[in-house]
Amino acid sequence: MRIEHWWFTAPLRLKSILRGRRVERELDEELQFHLDHKIEEGIAAGLSPRAAREAALRAMGGLEQRKEEMRDMRHIHWLTDFVDDASYAIRNLHRTFGLTAFVVITLGLGIGMSAAVFSMLDGLVFRPYPVPQPGRVVTLAGTSRDKSIDDFSYREYLDIRGGTTSYDGVIAGGPLQGVGFSAGPGTTPQVRVGMLVSGNYFRVLGVEPQLGRGFRDDEDEVAGRDAVVVLGPDFWKHEFASDRSVVGRMVRLNGADFTVVGVAPDTFTGMELFQRPDFYMPLAMARRFSTAPQKNFFEDRDDRELTVMARLRAGVSVPQSRSEIAVLAQRFEREYPALNRERGASVLTQFEIRTRADAGEWKFISIFAVLALAVLLVACTNVAGLLLSRAQTRTREIAVRLALGAGRFRLIRMLLTESLVLASLGGLAGAAVAYGAIRFFHTLAIPAELPTTLPFQLDRRVLLANLALSVLSAIACGLAPALQSTRADLVSGLKSTEADSASGIGRRQLWGRNVLVVAQVSMSLLLLTASAVVTRGFHNSVAPPTGFVKDHLLLARFDPRLVQYDRAKTQQFYKLLAERARTTPGVQSAGLTLNPPLGLGAFDRLAFVPDGFQLPRDRENFTAMMDTVDEGFFTAMGVRILRGRGFRASDAADARRVAVVNEQFARHYWPNADAVGQHIRLDSRTGTPVEVIGVAETITYRQSFEKPRDFVYLPLAQHPQARMVLLLRSSGDPRQLIEPLKDVVRALDVNLPISETRTYEDVYRYSAVEGPGVGIHLVETMGVVGLVLALSGLYGLVAYNVSRRTREIGIRIAIGAGPADVLRLVMGKGLVLVGAGTAIGLVFGLALERVMNAILFNAGGVDILAYVVIVPALLLATVLATYVPARRAAKIAPTQALRYE
Amino acid sequence: MSKPNDLVQGTLDLLLLKILALEPLHGWAISLRLKSISGDVLQVTDGSLYPALHKLEQEGWITAEWKQTENNRRAKFYSLTRLGRKQLQSEAANWQRLSAAISHVVQLSET
Repeated sequence: MRIEHWWFTAPLRLKSILRGRRVERELDEELQFHLDHKIEEGIAAGLSPRAAREAALRAMGGLEQRKEEMRDMRHIHWLTDFVDDASYAIRNLHRTFGLTAFVVITLGLGIGMSAAVFSMLDGLVFRPYPVPQPGRVVTLAGTSRDKSIDDFSYREYLDIRGGTTSYDGVIAGGPLQGVGFSAGPGTTPQVRVGMLVSGNYFRVLGVEPQLGRGFRDDEDEVAGRDAVVVLGPDFWKHEFASDRSVVGRMVRLNGADFTVVGVAPDTFTGMELFQRPDFYMPLAMARRFSTAPQKNFFEDRDDRELTVMARLRAGVSVPQSRSEIAVLAQRFEREYPALNRERGASVLTQFEIRTRADAGEWKFISIFAVLALAVLLVACTNVAGLLLSRAQTRTREIAVRLALGAGRFRLIRMLLTESLVLASLGGLAGAAVAYGAIRFFHTLAIPAELPTTLPFQLDRRVLLANLALSVLSAIACGLAPALQSTRADLVSGLKSTEADSASGIGRRQLWGRNVLVVAQVSMSLLLLTASAVVTRGFHNSVAPPTGFVKDHLLLARFDPRLVQYDRAKTQQFYKLLAERARTTPGVQSAGLTLNPPLGLGAFDRLAFVPDGFQLPRDRENFTAMMDTVDEGFFTAMGVRILRGRGFRASDAADARRVAVVNEQFARHYWPNADAVGQHIRLDSRTGTPVEVIGVAETITYRQSFEKPRDFVYLPLAQHPQARMVLLLRSSGDPRQLIEPLKDVVRALDVNLPISETRTYEDVYRYSAVEGPGVGIHLVETMGVVGLVLALSGLYGLVAYNVSRRTREIGIRIAIGAGPADVLRLVMGKGLVLVGAGTAIGLVFGLALERVMNAILFNAGGVDILAYVVIVPALLLATVLATYVPARRAAKIAPTQALRYE
Repeated sequence: MSKPNDLVQGTLDLLLLKILALEPLHGWAISLRLKSISGDVLQVTDGSLYPALHKLEQEGWITAEWKQTENNRRAKFYSLTRLGRKQLQSEAANWQRLSAAISHVVQLSET
């Protein structure tokens, strides 16, 4: 019925909108037709033509009113009114060009910053998976007692797939950080990002390949049988120049031939946040890509490398599936108690996965978001204040409109349209600001060996957010002034331009403006506090001491699996590499590490039980971050050994197992004894004993501003790894070592590629200087913008108040008040407001600082210094903002003031 | 809005729909027809007739078409739509129920 109704009426509405003039003409013609007949009738009844005409018009009861009534019937007056209002607003704004420009810039900064931060937040948290019905895709994760989540092993994945009914399909994917790719035999392999996926991966996700096919379900069933690969869209474009004949072609991955069976669609950018896989292989080919050669991927239930995801069956809720998987986890624990102690399992939505506690970035961004919104809020209060002042000068206009019969609602709408026009302009400026900011984020060159994608972009979602912010700010800064100025009572409004002189209304209006001032001052204090905390937190970290020497250091990354080295051969290679590098001219020292400090790589975690430490009843072991290094590492990296010794060549695979711990670790577990000579047992109370032979200085490992953390080093010989980083300390420019190093490697194996060579300073600069630098710049800009906006707003409001009271001040001077009295009068009020704003801002600032310190930085406690600087600075600035107009007021000659209107 | 005083609220719509159900007419003819069939009892001022027609048109119950009159002038002829026919049925039924009920009450009080 409704649809049918629209079918009939929509063309009429459209006609009224598009052919308004013609509709008007027809209206006239129709009524004229009626009048003509009526007049004829009158004349026929014996009236004079003139009298007949008058009678006819009388019968109509006002021709124009009838027309207006009929126009209203068309239900499009809101649109035509809007167009009228908008063009009126534009004319009006054009007249006060300076003010308009100021407001647009103000709003643009606020909106643009918020939109830019939203793009970060969207990229990290909100943007849905690039698959159909992304909301039904959940992640299944193992959970441990300390609430951290981890992956599943292949066996566990099979059990989950067979043992659950909540899903339309359960998929598994294992990202591979370094896969050697070559387009054909004989070409040097390049390191690429790949992903091992279950055969049902594309089918369950609902991803249709743009070329060829996805995997068949049976292609992951037999280990090593189906050497097939699906290419990622970007990789296909860049590596194969979008060649459509690629399907069926052979490529070499880690030295083995794979047949290209398909190309994923452009929309499918992968399920990972920061990396887009270049190609996908079936899980059954895992042995070719294994990263943990000690483990058997297909058999070991604790070789947990797979991210398991699933598509919920229609009608099944997340809690339902959660209880199902919890039961399954209990079964695992029963059947394999040694591998699953205290291990549960849970189902996480995309949002939960993205905001889990151990992913750090979103916390930063959330704080940025709060700050950006604070900037926007300051901007809005600023604009609201300006509009309020302006509305005041329009009191007479509005009173006239009201007196002529304009409805209050209609007037509010007119004023809101004006702020909407302003906000739209601000939104345009905001889009430009957001564009610039996002470009700025992307100037960050991440020195990773593999391309890392920053998921920040100015896409439709961000523009939509931008639009929403504009409309919201239009309402936020327009509604209060509109409500207030249309409340003016007519008599005083018509009588005087100074509606405020009517005391009752005046007080209420002043109250509103006072709230604005207080809000601005407290908001900008909040912003300044935040930027001080962030800036100081980062700067602390950027400055030394880091605990190691970062210059004159060259990094070279190796992965001998690319040329199919087995474990023994890999160990032999690294041994020889380090030995020969050490004797290369220009090299002072050389060492190997799995992850250099602050090198962006994820550190492994070591599970252990320290001897002589009372283990809590509910714990099986402790975990700490660890690195695998060789005997040259501590010297090459410049990490000092405080007690005991570092590793030696004699700490070989068959020797007594040893470890070096950092000072934080030593103090944590053996507070009253020397850590050297103590033992830790791996995994559990009954695990292999490892002797602590040295205590190294605590340095920063993952982030330059991190809190001191426990850390363990294990010797490479006793804890073999495939991918290692060679550190070379040079006497001169470290880059001059690149060629000699290449010679060394070539002498060992002509085919072995060096995945990456880079000076350590490059890495360091990114992770400790430029990365945080983006944050610092962002927050500092927000702080400064917030302050400038707040000050200009404050100045404007005080100045306006003064000018409004010019006559009163004149009277006061005329009856004997001195300039000092006037200053006191005008400034006193401003200072009270600033004081109140400062107090509120301090309370919020302290709370915010607590939160930020707790989440982000190691700086504990309250940062007195920040407040010692910020509060007086803010007070001084606001005093100036009140002083200048106050002084001008004091100088006014009484005669001039009294005449002032 | 201008409302005819002596018409029960909403009945003007019913009258117009009914008249147009018989044949398409222009505004002037509708006013004449109203007067003649109700024998001057139902006074609809010219002022309220056209807004009412417009409303019916905007609701999609009647549709308008420009045609030549018998003395060769262009006039806007209104006719009932399918939707309008349905509306007429339901309004007429309503009216009958209502008027039956009212006359029932009125007769009660007289006896």
